[in-house]
Amino acid sequence: MNELPLAGIRVADFGWIFAVPHTTSWLGALGADVIRIESPKRPDLVRFLGGTDGKIGINRSGLFHSINFSKRSIALDLTNAAGAEVARRLVGISDIAIENFGTGVMTRFGLDYENLRAVKPDIIMMSGTPLGQTGPLSGAIGYGPNSLAFSGISHLTGYPGGEPSGIGGTWPDFVVGVVMAMGVLAALHYRDRTGQGQYLDLSIAEMVTGMLPEAMLDFFLNGREQNPIGNRDPDIAPHGVFPVAGDDRWIAIVTVSDAEFASLCEVLEAPRLCADPRFQTMAARLQNVAELERELGELTRRFEAGDLIAKLRARGIATGPTYNTAELLADPAMVESGMNVEVDHQEVGRRVIPGLPVAFSAFRPNYFGGPALGQHTDEVLTQVLGYSAAEVARLRESGAVL
Amino acid sequence: MDNSQSPGALDDLKVVELPMLDPMPFFAASMAGKSMADLGAEVIKVEPPQTGAQDRHFGPVGRGGPELETRALHLFLDCNKLSVTLDIGNAKGRDLLMRILAGADVVFNPNPPALNDRLGLGWRALCDRFPRLIVVSTTFFGTDSRYRDFRGGDLVATQMSGVGFETPFNQVTDPPNQPPLKAAERQADYLTGYTAGTATMVALQGRKRSGRGQHVDVSQWLAMVSTIRVNVGELTHDSPKSGMHRRLFVRRKTNAGWIYPCQDGFISFRTSPGNFWEGAVRMLGTPQWTQEPIFATETLRLKNSDALDALLTSWFMEHTKEDIFERAQRHGVPCFPLYNVREVAENRQYKARDFFQDCEHPVAGRFKIPGPPYIMSRTPGRIRRPAPRLGEHNVMIFCERLGIGRNELDAMQSQGVI
Repeated sequence: MNELPLAGIRVADFGWIFAVPHTTSWLGALGADVIRIESPKRPDLVRFLGGTDGKIGINRSGLFHSINFSKRSIALDLTNAAGAEVARRLVGISDIAIENFGTGVMTRFGLDYENLRAVKPDIIMMSGTPLGQTGPLSGAIGYGPNSLAFSGISHLTGYPGGEPSGIGGTWPDFVVGVVMAMGVLAALHYRDRTGQGQYLDLSIAEMVTGMLPEAMLDFFLNGREQNPIGNRDPDIAPHGVFPVAGDDRWIAIVTVSDAEFASLCEVLEAPRLCADPRFQTMAARLQNVAELERELGELTRRFEAGDLIAKLRARGIATGPTYNTAELLADPAMVESGMNVEVDHQEVGRRVIPGLPVAFSAFRPNYFGGPALGQHTDEVLTQVLGYSAAEVARLRESGAVL
Repeated sequence: MDNSQSPGALDDLKVVELPMLDPMPFFAASMAGKSMADLGAEVIKVEPPQTGAQDRHFGPVGRGGPELETRALHLFLDCNKLSVTLDIGNAKGRDLLMRILAGADVVFNPNPPALNDRLGLGWRALCDRFPRLIVVSTTFFGTDSRYRDFRGGDLVATQMSGVGFETPFNQVTDPPNQPPLKAAERQADYLTGYTAGTATMVALQGRKRSGRGQHVDVSQWLAMVSTIRVNVGELTHDSPKSGMHRRLFVRRKTNAGWIYPCQDGFISFRTSPGNFWEGAVRMLGTPQWTQEPIFATETLRLKNSDALDALLTSWFMEHTKEDIFERAQRHGVPCFPLYNVREVAENRQYKARDFFQDCEHPVAGRFKIPGPPYIMSRTPGRIRRPAPRLGEHNVMIFCERLGIGRNELDAMQSQGVI
């Protein structure tokens, strides 16, 4: 196995909550030395979301561990001038600085791009905020899921004719995490070629709107204003989630041609459906999609999920169950995927966390467990930043280091 | 801002994007290509002759010409790319593809492993032949998975990942009539594309050290699973509180999915954690009810959320979304107006940031498209060229770059190779 691709890259991680911690776990698992700056005075609230074995504690959150692997943690008070100076010293020997505070917070700490560039001229800095660093509403605060409202996706997600819907998976935080990783790596690529760093400004709402090209271009090209269409597709029917035997059990089914629809009808033992002029062609099925879905639902609910899925897959039809998290983790392909990794944590020991969703042929990512708050303060300050033990003690006494 | 002369971060890279040969719509490779094209990489989109890539067959149709040139997905996803036509099912066509790949840094391939192996386009074959090439598979389930031959797509990945189980979020009051839902448009495709773009940048860093490319295996299913990762952590550490029951928050009808109704639509609003509650109380003008003991602590507010949400909603129903947005933000409370498509298109924040960029297309005319997901101060992503017409760059790539004569090109065209 080769050296990890980001070995030798150092990241000063000012992130918190979900998005940026996810970004820096990617970078850490790929070999970067990620040093996360945390404050016990204002700890990441994710440290208190969920606990371990029924007990909540600052170093016991499974949610935190699932997005903070492969990084170190140091405890600094950035509102203290000497604490901010330690952070600047860290940036001075880092390649990337990344943050997702509200706009202006890093400036208050004296850690904005201009200040960081003064200590590290080729630093790559990236910020992620709901609406971006510039513009009349740049100061607006909110979590990722709040930003969805502004982006248009809340309006467009929902049942046909229904109200706007929230999206699972704390959308879009983990999309933001991946996109920010691409941003800093693209900037790193440019720096490798030119020696120049730069500043990257991500607006969560803009990123999400940029993933709605059909609605936005329909408006800009045709003046049409789209509304929610549920699980449907404008060009494909059926394209839906249908009930199967049991309480609240569902599977997705998509057929992209008349031949596939005929196969579906055969599996469902309903030749009359296939012969019905309302459903014979894709155009007809799109025209009568509500009736089609109703009729299909009456048929699918007679089958067990596993049985129907196996039959449909044997015919080459796209299908799959609606999983909850426990069912997902039990899926044999999930078990074999290599994405569930076991790592050690200081306080709660060995636990499974989700690794990266990608496999590389030339190396394996380096996974180690999410840090306890400030677990690496002394180690980083003395070995990485070159403070003496006496200086660390003084910084601690003054409240700069916690 | 005039960015017309600024360099792109990925100016030095050459990328090839292969077409999806299955009729299931799947735009992950196209988004991966776009994520690099917007940053300056040269992206050659290889399209089937006559019909073109999937991008030309889905999404709303614009005005002004043949549908192949005016579909919204093509105009958006293929902006900044070059188009060549090539039948990769034909041996001669694959020969030409190999000559293109010889000069490439990255190839995105959305096709399933069995088909690739049949065509001699399996990742091992490509990595062996082109040791510096980064071969990126963007498939439904991954090339190594026991599901590798199954078809998936946006809806299937959303449901099998667990994201569908939680959508609509906290709004399920009548399960039999509220099937698990997907997000609007093709989020699983685009997330997979961005995941592939990120992984590609990682492999490029690796190549700088080792001198060698590699295979990067990106699964749409796992890319979506990655977004419910905190549920996994919760499950493996503790008895889970979320993600297990669609109806868990059934009683919370009003702030479902963080969304509340108001006088002229909807807003997204949060009063937790506690410091936001204090701001919310001030924003409401400290009415008597906010001082009731049942709302004294965060735990109590959660316990009495039905009562709380009803009181909040009655205030919201007297105010407009812009008014609530302005007041909430003034008091430091996370809140945004919930915009429809027109409001998104016309909002002043995006305007001030030039988020929607002007595009001039020879067939579809002038229109705006969303810009890249982040602004790079030194190398801003920008529109260098509109989406290409089908085969627009055949002469440029085949003749000028690969040195194929015009007569040979014409012959291949008449044989349907290009």
